[in-house]
Amino acid sequence: MPNNSTDEPSVPFERTEEFRLLRMLHNIGATKPEKSLSIHEISEWTETEASEIDTELQKLAKQGFIQSIEADGTTKYHVTLSGMRKVLSMYS
Amino acid sequence: MNICFATWEFPPRIVGGIARHCNGLAKALARNGHEIHVITLDFPGTPSYEECDGVMIYRTPTELGHPNFLTWALLFNHFIEKKIAGVNRKVDFDVVHVHDWLTGFAGISFKHQMQKPMVATIHGTEVGRAQGLHNPDSFTIDGIEWWTTYEANKIIVTSDSMKGEVHGHFHLPQEKIEIIPNGIDPKRYNAPVNRSAVRGRYGVNPREKLILCVGRLVPQKGIEYLISAIPQISESHRDSRLIIVGEGWLRGHLERIARSTRYQRKITFTGWIPDRELIALLNSADVLVVPSIYEPFGIVALEGMAAGVPVVVSDVGGLSEIVEHERTGILAYSRSPESIAWAIERVLSDPDHSEWLVRNARDMVQKTYSWEAIAMRTAKVYKEVAG
Repeated sequence: MPNNSTDEPSVPFERTEEFRLLRMLHNIGATKPEKSLSIHEISEWTETEASEIDTELQKLAKQGFIQSIEADGTTKYHVTLSGMRKVLSMYS
Repeated sequence: MNICFATWEFPPRIVGGIARHCNGLAKALARNGHEIHVITLDFPGTPSYEECDGVMIYRTPTELGHPNFLTWALLFNHFIEKKIAGVNRKVDFDVVHVHDWLTGFAGISFKHQMQKPMVATIHGTEVGRAQGLHNPDSFTIDGIEWWTTYEANKIIVTSDSMKGEVHGHFHLPQEKIEIIPNGIDPKRYNAPVNRSAVRGRYGVNPREKLILCVGRLVPQKGIEYLISAIPQISESHRDSRLIIVGEGWLRGHLERIARSTRYQRKITFTGWIPDRELIALLNSADVLVVPSIYEPFGIVALEGMAAGVPVVVSDVGGLSEIVEHERTGILAYSRSPESIAWAIERVLSDPDHSEWLVRNARDMVQKTYSWEAIAMRTAKVYKEVAG
């Protein structure tokens, strides 16, 4: 097992805002279409401006971690299977 | 015996190795004549109750959520506990078996309310996973782990290194800790596949060397060190390709490292793939690499051995107990791209030696890691605590 010491690549343990939002959506149970939440509801949970959340939600949707549905005349969001796996990878 | 498993993951809710472990062990215990009830969390697209190969599976919804993970874990334990109590009224469990701290609360309540024994399998510790306790959540999880091991009548760990870790960190008596390794069903992994078709799906042509890595994309898996080894491997094997299977919060960072090597076109991230596809890939790879920096057991190495692919693993934790260097696989220093590159080259450069390693590894898996043998050893622990 020959070994040459190397500099360790840095690991960004800090979480991004979008990942924090994804984790929160998962933990409050928005994991299926019938439990989807509107931007207004997410804003209340996170105590963050709706306009800021919208940007993060679009990023998460683009990556396939959340999905939107139209319900009660508004757009609502829930975490996808891929998003659940992303979140759960932190805890196992 | 009437046995209750409490686990937060069970197929198809697969996060790490716990789901596969619980599934294999539960089915083997059922085959050995025990009555097994698995209480777990719901998952989209799965029924709330089903029987599968003699195992009764209850998936309980978590009616309340909370943004804080620890509070959420406390809440889902309450729903698991309620389900255990409900099933216990009909079944009268002899023992409850919890897996990691995540279902510790439910198990401890059951133990005291029903005056029945609790067994806990510790698959990994927070201090090991996070390589230290760096934030308040980690300290809390560490405390819950200690509490779970303190309350359990018996602790099961999957490797000698885990026994040392649990004994040392939680100050438990040695005799309270039993080592019972993980198991696999070797037949399931030794599947006939059309290698060129499988490789073709990932853009790997028959001449190229397929280096496979399977694991959650989190720091403890050490995947960045494997990626950093690719330039060195490519010097001697220009036709090599790295396929990384798995999902995790570190993926963006790993993809950036892959780009920085300037060998990005040789590295593919597949994300999560179903088990059938994973088995097909294992059977089509030229080498499986497990570059972890912390690994209580490392079941993926056994899966690779059963599939007949030569394995290269880090010389850490359970991996160094599973793999015998130069006899059933190759050990490399963890956190060392140079050592990982050397080990991969050792496999790719000498096909005869690799075949010999594969034969030895397959024999060892058959003899040592069958679920039947592991279920018998686990049942012995249940009998001991149940009196």
